[in-house]
Amino acid sequence: MAFVPGQPVTAVVQRIEIHKLRQGDNLILGFSIGGGIDQDPTQNPFSEDKTDKGIYVTRVTEGGPAEVAGLQIGDKIMQVNGWDMTMVTHDQARKRLTKRNEEVVRLLVTRQSLQKAVQQSMMS
Amino acid sequence: MKDLACTSDSPVHEQSPSNQTSIAMMQEPQEMVEETVTVEEDPGTPTSHVSIVTSEDGTTRRTETKVTKMVKTVTTRTVRQVPLGPDGLPAMDGSSPMGSYTDSIDRRYLKNGERYITPQASSTLTRSYNSYNDSYPESHEGQYRPYLGHDGYGDLSDNYGSLSRGVGYRPRYAYVPGSAYRPDDGSFTLPSRRDNYGPVAQPQVPVGSNADLNRSQPERFQPEPYGLEDDNRSLGVDDEGYELDPDYSTVNRRTSAGVPERGRPHKGRGYEEPMEPEMVEERIPYLHGGYAAPLAQPERGSMASIDRLGKRSPSIDSIRKDPRWRDPDLPEVIAMLSHPIDPVKSNAAAYLQHLCYENDKIKKDVRHLKGIPILVGLLDHPKPEVHRKACGALRNISYGKDNENKVAIKNCDGIPALIRLLRKTNDMEVRELITGTLWNLSSYEPLKMVIINHGLQTLTNEVIIPHSGWESEPNEDSKPRDAEWTTVFKNTSGCLRNVSSDGAEARRRLRECDGLVDALLHALQSAVGKKDTDNKSVENCVCIMRNLSYHVHKEVPGADKYQELDAGQTTGTGGSQKKKKDDAGCFGGKKAKGKKNGDLDRNFDTLDLPKRSEAAKGFELLYQPDVVRLYLSILTESQNFNTLEAAAGALQNLSAGNWMWSTYIRATVRKERGLPVLVELLQSDSDKVVRAVSIALRNLSMDRRNKDLIGSYAMGELVRNLPSRQQRSAKNLEEDTVVAVLNTIHEIITDSSENARSLIQTQGIQKLVAISKSSQSPRETKAASHILQMIWSYKELRNALQKDGWNKSHFQSVSAALKGSKGPAGRSGYDDSTLPLVEKSQDNEKSGSRDMIPMDELGPDGYSTIDHRDKERKYKSSDPSGDASEKEPLKNDTNRKNINRSNRASVNLVDARDIKPQPVDSWV
Repeated sequence: MAFVPGQPVTAVVQRIEIHKLRQGDNLILGFSIGGGIDQDPTQNPFSEDKTDKGIYVTRVTEGGPAEVAGLQIGDKIMQVNGWDMTMVTHDQARKRLTKRNEEVVRLLVTRQSLQKAVQQSMMS
Repeated sequence: MKDLACTSDSPVHEQSPSNQTSIAMMQEPQEMVEETVTVEEDPGTPTSHVSIVTSEDGTTRRTETKVTKMVKTVTTRTVRQVPLGPDGLPAMDGSSPMGSYTDSIDRRYLKNGERYITPQASSTLTRSYNSYNDSYPESHEGQYRPYLGHDGYGDLSDNYGSLSRGVGYRPRYAYVPGSAYRPDDGSFTLPSRRDNYGPVAQPQVPVGSNADLNRSQPERFQPEPYGLEDDNRSLGVDDEGYELDPDYSTVNRRTSAGVPERGRPHKGRGYEEPMEPEMVEERIPYLHGGYAAPLAQPERGSMASIDRLGKRSPSIDSIRKDPRWRDPDLPEVIAMLSHPIDPVKSNAAAYLQHLCYENDKIKKDVRHLKGIPILVGLLDHPKPEVHRKACGALRNISYGKDNENKVAIKNCDGIPALIRLLRKTNDMEVRELITGTLWNLSSYEPLKMVIINHGLQTLTNEVIIPHSGWESEPNEDSKPRDAEWTTVFKNTSGCLRNVSSDGAEARRRLRECDGLVDALLHALQSAVGKKDTDNKSVENCVCIMRNLSYHVHKEVPGADKYQELDAGQTTGTGGSQKKKKDDAGCFGGKKAKGKKNGDLDRNFDTLDLPKRSEAAKGFELLYQPDVVRLYLSILTESQNFNTLEAAAGALQNLSAGNWMWSTYIRATVRKERGLPVLVELLQSDSDKVVRAVSIALRNLSMDRRNKDLIGSYAMGELVRNLPSRQQRSAKNLEEDTVVAVLNTIHEIITDSSENARSLIQTQGIQKLVAISKSSQSPRETKAASHILQMIWSYKELRNALQKDGWNKSHFQSVSAALKGSKGPAGRSGYDDSTLPLVEKSQDNEKSGSRDMIPMDELGPDGYSTIDHRDKERKYKSSDPSGDASEKEPLKNDTNRKNINRSNRASVNLVDARDIKPQPVDSWV
């Protein structure tokens, strides 16, 4: 997933549709994100490329909506409802995920195991 | 890792029961009444039946196969009816004599056939054949045919589902036609060769019986570290039950490796897809067999099922002729994991579990053949038979020193898959397998955090809390429940024990996990109440508690509020405390619930515990003085050395540090009459228990009253643990232990000429001088010489010393030696976690003074059992600290020194790291 600035990024992605859970007045997705172009990418424990300022899933509530939908810790979020998430600030990503009028969030995510699986299948 | 290790060895039953008898089994079929279900959608679902087979052995085996019925099911009872499989497989009944047996099988086929065509089912077996055929074209074909004619094969069909059965039956099928068989599938089927396959079949057996099997042999723990590995087979099955058994088991193992890979192209492939077309085509041919009805082609008659198989395998004939089956080779087994028919999947997985049992080579081969992702995929399979078997195979694969296998499971997201299944299933056996697998995985450092991230709360909610008997909101009417020492609880606590050693972050997560600490404490209290403190679950729980107690005074939110400001207890503490404070400050934010009246509570003798407005809960329970009684009870009751070590380590951790709670803990130990309990344990035969207790005493002596008491009552035991001239010591203690004892003595005599006097009275000087002059260990030498210097510094004692024939040179030479050896020794001295850091700078100048070993430096760090740097944990061994559990003994030795060193030196750095502001993290 290393990317070269200016070049298109290619990644194996999985679509994940999360139905938000109502908790009190809030709609929650049940995961937390880290990263963003305004954050220090070297602190991201999940990225292979430590210059990657993408948005990553840092925690997933066990049994929560995100986990049920298949989201996993360490997933890199590429898009949210069609919006690019590879070049956004942390807060922009958070807001995009927490729109109050959206009960369903569709993500495109990539993760190392997906990449590897594809590589392996291509090799074999 | 040792901790992990299960001490118990369960018997392994690997039996390859009478596999060879497979033939005999064939008979069974008859007995069995099978219901045929036609499932349109699931081809694979077999029906369940119980068959009793008599094996050659004469033993009766019972095999149960469960068949799932699909939506459209037609149940047929009788034997014969043979519907044609859609495949065209005949549902043959008639043709073979065996027919009856066959029937059942056939039926399936038929049923299946319709959908998937039984053949596939058969195919499982068949495929193999097929494949084999390829490989072994020759004979088999021939063999098969004969069979075809016979009933035997029919069985197979059943078998498919389960391999085992198949074995018995197969023969009949002669189905012939092997041709038909879809070769594709083919790969899977093993059928024909009973002999060979037989083995395969076995796995199936398990299917039905699996449960039983597994249960029967629970897990085989190996003595080794962690590990749960079972052999299904052995378990299996009722084993005997399998008809097939005979062969497979053993054979496979041996062979598998050897088997040439066959490219089974099909493996993975959707069987269904490719197959079907083929099947169709083939089916027709198949028809022949006895089952004419179905497809009518009687050719091989009943063998239909076989045929399918056979199709490829011309060998049907041969099979019959040669009753032997061959075992599927590993690639075939792995390919079968993707077979469209569920029983085939489950049998293949069961067989894999068997193959992997205690065979690292096979495990590695499975990994290289990409079998692990397939098994992980099966965890989400809706059918219990399938996910259970897959889980069993994963447990065995995850066991062992080859961490690559563990990583492979993690890389295909096996950990979240296991956790998902745990939440979903209520099957106790499956839960045992899941938690056993997680236990195995948790022994590998890099996976610990992954397990915490994906499964901590689930493991706690699903297993720890319910089995501990703890209820967050107890019903007033009901009695408190006792803990249940189930295998699931043992496995889960073992897993958490391992992950609890993964550093400050892991400890934080565990402490903050809702209900975990509460439940563990409840379980331990229940154990003490029932005087059942020797089991592995208790050991695991105590180890977790010890690990979580490590550095509580620094890591708990709001810990800074409790720091004691004055250095009252030891000279020179001030500096260290400040340091601590700073560290603790980093965690600031949350407020601790307890009162902070640390400043008021200086008086150790009159200890006023803080009053709480509300009951402590969660991690606060770790350091409440109430836990002291619990640990002391365990120290009194338990005969398990690991448990004793951990309980002493917990007290050691809690009594370290300079916060208010450790002050209370130190006083509470005294008030609860814990000192005599600890002193008595100095006589333990276990090296690590002596070490942990010794260090705990050292920490406890930071309390002045304790120091006086320990000096009076423990000095004799401490000295007794020192090596004398001729022998290392009566117990031949390890260097670390000797150093720990020496450091404890040093601490006790510091600031106390009374205690120094009792050291002289217990004949300690002689041993100390001997150690300082002749020990092979620079660490021991150094520690002993520090003590001697300290003693000489008490001028009031010199008279007594000289009377005993000692002179200044005995005490000073030491220091000279120290200087001389400073280079090498200096460092090593620090290794010992228990040793105060101070020495280096001071030893020269202040040889005589008490300052030599300032407690400060020791501070919490020095005392705590667990090292911070868990990451490096290996060192643990030196500390009795918590981690020990995970580590392997071997590592300890080597790692220790380095680790310790780094610890010391870098303690502050480490902490800093821990505290480092965390990257922004937003919940959404």
